Amino acid sequence: MRAGPWWTIGWRNLGRNRRRTLITMGGLAFGYLAVVLLVAWMEGLTAEMIESATRTLTGQLQIHDDEYRPERKIYDTIGGRDGADVAALLRSVDADPVVAGAAPRVYAGGLVSSGAATTAGMLMGIDPAREVHVSNILNAVVEGHPPRAESHDIVIGLEMARQLGVGVGEELILVVPAADGSMGNDLYTVSGIFHSGLAELDAVYAIMSLPALQSLLALDPGRVHEIAASINDPWLAPAAADRIGTQLGATARGIEVEPWTRLRPEMLDYAQLVQAWNGVIIFIVFAIAIFGVANTMLMATFERRREIAVMLALGTTPFAVVRSILAEALSLGAISIGIGVVLTTPLFLWFYHAPPNLSWLYGDFTMLGALIRPVLRVEWNPTVWVWSGVALLLTALVAALYPAARAARIPPADTLSGL
Amino acid sequence: MARSTTLIRLASRNLRRYLRRTALTASAMIVGGALMIFSLSLGDGGHEDWIESGARMGSGHLSVQAPGFKTSRKIEDRLSAAARAGAERALQHPSVARHVVTVVPQLAIGGLASSPTGARPAQIVGVDPIAEAAFSMLDDKLVEGRYLEPGDRLAAYVGAGMMEALDLRLGSRLVLTAQDADGEISGQLVRVVGVFRSGVPEIDQTLVHIPLTTGGTWLHAGADVTTIAILLDRSRAVPAVQRALERELTDQIAAGELMVLSWRESSPELNAAVRIDDMGNYIWQGIMFGIIALGIVNTVLMSVMYRKREFGLLQALGFTPRQTGGLVITEGLALTAVSGFIGIALGLFLTWLFFRNGLDFSFTWDENFTFSGVVVDPIIVPLFSVRRVMQSLVFILLIGTLASLYPAWRAMRIDVAEAMKFER
Repeated sequence: MRAGPWWTIGWRNLGRNRRRTLITMGGLAFGYLAVVLLVAWMEGLTAEMIESATRTLTGQLQIHDDEYRPERKIYDTIGGRDGADVAALLRSVDADPVVAGAAPRVYAGGLVSSGAATTAGMLMGIDPAREVHVSNILNAVVEGHPPRAESHDIVIGLEMARQLGVGVGEELILVVPAADGSMGNDLYTVSGIFHSGLAELDAVYAIMSLPALQSLLALDPGRVHEIAASINDPWLAPAAADRIGTQLGATARGIEVEPWTRLRPEMLDYAQLVQAWNGVIIFIVFAIAIFGVANTMLMATFERRREIAVMLALGTTPFAVVRSILAEALSLGAISIGIGVVLTTPLFLWFYHAPPNLSWLYGDFTMLGALIRPVLRVEWNPTVWVWSGVALLLTALVAALYPAARAARIPPADTLSGL
Repeated sequence: MARSTTLIRLASRNLRRYLRRTALTASAMIVGGALMIFSLSLGDGGHEDWIESGARMGSGHLSVQAPGFKTSRKIEDRLSAAARAGAERALQHPSVARHVVTVVPQLAIGGLASSPTGARPAQIVGVDPIAEAAFSMLDDKLVEGRYLEPGDRLAAYVGAGMMEALDLRLGSRLVLTAQDADGEISGQLVRVVGVFRSGVPEIDQTLVHIPLTTGGTWLHAGADVTTIAILLDRSRAVPAVQRALERELTDQIAAGELMVLSWRESSPELNAAVRIDDMGNYIWQGIMFGIIALGIVNTVLMSVMYRKREFGLLQALGFTPRQTGGLVITEGLALTAVSGFIGIALGLFLTWLFFRNGLDFSFTWDENFTFSGVVVDPIIVPLFSVRRVMQSLVFILLIGTLASLYPAWRAMRIDVAEAMKFER
């Protein structure tokens, strides 16, 4: 048995006034496009923030001695004062399926002096060969080259270089309180200058090879403060941290394995906040669109009041009239989704593959301490596409309720008698 | 002008004739207008709050510094006594003074803070305790101990982040090291008298306030300062006051003795954040009104199509096509003007009624959310301004005109004979 002629009637009515139908569909499709792109931009901004925060220096997960944070004392190295088998630790972190790279690090605060000028610095000892797989800091070297292993090379930020008035090839004196209570000091050569864009990084960080800083701090080779690891998809980090923690027997050994979500909980909060706003955006946009659809449907049913009166006079039930009008609204919504998807896809692909760079208009800015480029990048989130479609259909249905109710109550006799 | 009043009367009659259709379109406009004024005043209020908090944590809405200081942050680039006297004189000028809330001298330099645990880079600011307490927000962010007091000599007001990093307690000693006015490295022992937590990690980990006199003695700078920080009554006064100050100080600026920086220049990140947030708000308004405009196009177009005969008759009686088009545009404009006006008034009234004391967003984000160096206060107090209301009205009228153009064009092209030929 056929579902009845109501769908056919509803569908055909869309064609009664094509221009009006198209403009209404245009409104809904534009709403769809707006919602999908707005949400994708907001999620793009979150992704940019998380990537920038984790890729610049932090890494997506870090391993420390459980005493190390938050004081970051220089003797709280992994494995306590005895140190640990760093090579073995790195091997087991590397072995995790999602880890792209792992690198050991040593940190110390000290004074950096060029003789003429002195500034405070955060010294960071790294393994250059491993570090490039974890963070972007060595890729940010704009002049000279990264520190070579086993050398007295030092790489400083652009801002520090300017403050100290030194260039590549010149010498710096470091003065640092060492782990044995003495003051370590030695002479180093600037081998490169980096520019990350983050003011505090560029003015404060000085990077050298791991053994060079260990010997300055009187730390044994087995003593490092941190092992940082990179994971390509930041959202896989929490699970990876748990896996690595279990595998290393972390709690028993006094080690903590922390993903960025626990190192920077406020970023996770922000990402969740953005997701909560998606619903609000969908709601407001379609709530505004509802008026346009209701207006069109009202006009369409008003024009047809004689036709509907005939249907009612011939024995059609008021409910069937309601059904035909709801069918009309649903068809309108369905086609609008089609138009919306067709309009959105090329724009989305464009933003996805070549995000417009607005740096000519706006400077970089920071959110939660992460550097954000003014780039309109979008994130691919299929659920938003689906939910916006559902919201659009609901909008069309809700907007049709009032016109449908009015149509069902048209008095056949009065209308047909020429009123 | 009899003709234009006739047009308006015709237009308003037509709108009243199809009251339901008019009301539905008007509701979209009213909701849109109300939402627009709501989000603009909240946005402006939020920005004003960010700017004020940025100004009060740092160097004010405006600051007077030596030209090299902004980038070097070194004691060498301090203000000379003559420059400072000139700046203070300029601040007395009536066009400046009426906007100024407070002026504080600051001796700000980059250095190292160290304790037995380790050493951290620090932004050390020598302040006048009384003046600074009135200027800065930091004294309100106290979590332990007290803010600096006039009699203090070897006291320091330290951020919670640095307290943790250096393992300090209230009363602990720490050594500040920096380059002094003679170019020598010089250390100063101070005691922690108070701890603050601003919520911005960059500030909590690096900022240290010490008494100005202690700083001057330690760095051999005497009574000199690096920065004169100026707090204004509102951020909108910044450009005018900056121009007035620069006019008063023309000679000294030309001589390279000092420069006047606004918060936009001293915190470019905050500037970018405010402008990007504004842009987001404009995109949002654009999208909403794009949807509303399509609704208006539809309504006005339909009313034109239904009234082909009527327009035909009007033209047969001597209406020119131009007047017919004018009538349609007048209808569209009247509809948007009235509903837009109601929407804006409603938006202002509702925002004022419910949120004049601030809209509390703390259910969505907590106090740890920071944006370009300021903590975003979860309670946003809306800021109303005549400028925004005018902007919104103009925007709404523009939308109304644009949306009526196509229907008006259709109405102008009605074929009189064809339109009047048949009974409908």
